[in-house]
Amino acid sequence: MSTIATSPATRRAPAQTAGRQETTWVVTVTVLLVALLGYFYFAVPDFRGLGASGILALSEQFLFTGLIALGEALVIFAGEIDLSTGAMASLSGIVMAALWQQGLNIWLAVVVALVVSALGGAVNGLFVTRFGINSLLVTLGTQFIFSSVATAVGGNSPPYNFPKSFVNLAGTGTVGPIPNQLIGFAVIAAAVWLLVARARYGRGLVLIGYNRAASRYSGVNVQRTLFGAFVLCGLLAGVAGIFVSGYYNAARDDIGDSLLLPAITVVVLGGVDIFGGRGRMSGVIVAVFLLGILNQGLLIRGNSSLTATMVEGVVLVLCLILKIALDRRAGVRLRELLHRRFAVARAPAAGGP
Amino acid sequence: MHLSLAGHMGPSAEQVPAERGLLSREPGTGRLSGEAGRGPAPLVGMRYQGRSLTKSFDGATVLSQVDIAFEPGEIHSVVGENGAGKSTLVKIMAGIYQPDSGELTLGEERLGGLSPRSAQHRGIYLVPQEPALMQSLSITENLFVGILRRGRLRFNVDWRSMRREASAYLARVGLDVSPEQKAEELSIAQQQLVECARALVHRCVVIFFDEPTSPLTAKEAGTLFEVMGSLRADGYTLGFISHRLDEVLAISDRVTVLRDGGKVMAALRSEVDKAVLVKGMVGRELTTQERVRPHFDATGRQEMLAVEDLTSQPAFEGVTFSVREGEIVGLAGLVGSGRTEVAETIFGIRSTDRGTVRLAGKPLQHRTPRTCIDAGLVYLPEDRGRHGIFAEVEVERNVTAGVIPHLDRAGPLIKPAAERLMAKQATDRTAVRMASLDTLIKALSGGNQQRAMLSRWLLANPRVAIFDEPTRGVDVGAKDDIYQLVAQLAEEGLACVFISSELSELTITCDRVLVMYEGRVVGELSGTEITDANLGPLIVGAQHK
Repeated sequence: MSTIATSPATRRAPAQTAGRQETTWVVTVTVLLVALLGYFYFAVPDFRGLGASGILALSEQFLFTGLIALGEALVIFAGEIDLSTGAMASLSGIVMAALWQQGLNIWLAVVVALVVSALGGAVNGLFVTRFGINSLLVTLGTQFIFSSVATAVGGNSPPYNFPKSFVNLAGTGTVGPIPNQLIGFAVIAAAVWLLVARARYGRGLVLIGYNRAASRYSGVNVQRTLFGAFVLCGLLAGVAGIFVSGYYNAARDDIGDSLLLPAITVVVLGGVDIFGGRGRMSGVIVAVFLLGILNQGLLIRGNSSLTATMVEGVVLVLCLILKIALDRRAGVRLRELLHRRFAVARAPAAGGP
Repeated sequence: MHLSLAGHMGPSAEQVPAERGLLSREPGTGRLSGEAGRGPAPLVGMRYQGRSLTKSFDGATVLSQVDIAFEPGEIHSVVGENGAGKSTLVKIMAGIYQPDSGELTLGEERLGGLSPRSAQHRGIYLVPQEPALMQSLSITENLFVGILRRGRLRFNVDWRSMRREASAYLARVGLDVSPEQKAEELSIAQQQLVECARALVHRCVVIFFDEPTSPLTAKEAGTLFEVMGSLRADGYTLGFISHRLDEVLAISDRVTVLRDGGKVMAALRSEVDKAVLVKGMVGRELTTQERVRPHFDATGRQEMLAVEDLTSQPAFEGVTFSVREGEIVGLAGLVGSGRTEVAETIFGIRSTDRGTVRLAGKPLQHRTPRTCIDAGLVYLPEDRGRHGIFAEVEVERNVTAGVIPHLDRAGPLIKPAAERLMAKQATDRTAVRMASLDTLIKALSGGNQQRAMLSRWLLANPRVAIFDEPTRGVDVGAKDDIYQLVAQLAEEGLACVFISSELSELTITCDRVLVMYEGRVVGELSGTEITDANLGPLIVGAQHK
């Protein structure tokens, strides 16, 4: 029999502050975004040719995904998932369009559509909290319900050609060079970010993701917090549905189907642990642009959408590998090195480390 | 199913014993070989030695630099109090835990990276405290799992020969049952003997018994000891874990005493008596036997917590007690007696069937943890890892997690500076030792984690606090500090409920102790009545007062 020497515990202690790891990832994603923009700007003439307003306008292609990702992130922070968001976006657009076609004021129709989406989220939340059914199963089911209701309400030829004021404000309009949708997204993203990072609600939400039982013993109302996350997730998917309908100036019952997986991808790329707890909302917001610019840039560069999708997949996997590496020892060492360099550069008088 | 078990054999080297079955294994390991079909044959055990074994969990050292050697033909007992490190030691030696440092030597061979499977493969077996048989499988299947014998066709299973051998092994351990019987039909004692037989089937020569007698009656334990005695006569190397000294003295050849994770004594049976062992086991406790605070005078103190006829079936029924301002009331009882369940029901985690809870005279209805905390009633849970800490979260947020709704805010936003100050004051008060408030709480020692948990609840300005096993998983040095802290909080007027399995804790901290047995309060002791001698019989339900 072979003899294996007992190895003493040589493994170094893991990084002892989570905050630093998470900040590192947000910085990493931001650096990647800047690098990507730089690459496209200098290496792809067509991209540069768009000019500032053209590049800003690209965001209109992926902000729907971003809105869904914001809501999805809330649910994922708590350790759950919502697969019905894409269908919810379709439903919200269809409800709005159908009500408008029936003669309702378009803005009232928007409000009703958003209420419907919040209610849809509440249904998800109710099943998850009251009946204790796994959210993956619940939302897998409700996804089909929302989607078929959208088809039923929309009929054979869903409405299109909305009033100009609506299309302008919620769709393709701009303030100076900045698309209205980008402004809308920025406001919502800031609110969601503050909710998670600084509000009481978000504090409870994240703690639930880390340890649900301990949250309960600490007095966090787990049921209510989870329910709220699903309602907000549904609502944000509804907003995405309005944005997408405004942008295309049409509603379709399958318009949201392609938004779900990219949205989950964005959340993961943004550094949120798919099992809950760890992560930063700011990372998700940056990741919306990282993935969106990557996709749009590749299309402008002349790649097919097939290639773009493939590259996105590769980037996601590479990013996850990088993230794991950063979280582990290599990352700790790299960070220590950077800190030391940084400290020396900043305070040479102190004589360095 | 059976074939797939055989198919899980893994690397080819490990298939050797499977194919040869009970035939001799490796030559040169010091074992005599048996002949197939002839059943158990005498073996020669091997010396199994651990050197400077050290292990810590979540920063709390549970075993420190322990040297121990188990000799063939001997029953070597390891004794110590709860938490002394006995179980950790044998689990390391049986490959269940990996030591942080230290080495294991079997015979002349140094073992490294031991797993339960490779340990068994080398002839080391641990009979667990609770038998871990597969309940719905037959005894034969349980005995031969992992080494199912192939039949003549190579892809079938030779049940007949295995059954025959199973009978022989069962007879060897004094079990008169059919090998066809399902494990679930056996009593705990019988299952333990099956575990024993299983060790023999797997040709194990080093067998550890981890507190095997705690679920057994005296008679059943006697049977087990007879089996152990005959294994010793055959030259097996036997390790026996217990805190029952009479048993230990009756069957051991050699005794090692552990205390607080360190070895305090190792001696031959003939060199020790009960008094020596007791002194070794509790040595330190004898010095701190004094009560942490003077006599409690209840006169003029307000009744802070009043529990009346509280019931939550099936855990407990009709529990009534009260705690005054500044009083420490102990809740004693065996695990499963309903202590924790009472606390959880008071705190609104379990549902209440009937009964009332009043806080400072005011009834608390429809209790949830939130309403309890806000009313000034807090609960420090027993299972710190699962119900207390957020392991991957900074100390600061761990500490403020109980008072999120009350954090200082600007509009809807929590003020980070105010939160930090709050956490800093709270952790200073309980003297948490940590690098900074940004340190992940999992990096702290058990004692410091517990201090952080205490500071979480201090932030809620409680009037009543329930401490459930507050010193569990805490280094011994830190235990005293926790007693002192609880006593100090009581001095400041906090009404405390102190739940513990360790009688010595209750005797030194509590002003009054309620004893629970099978879901009911069966006795109450106060002041100088609180002694180990008085508590002991009540706890095991031997005496209703």
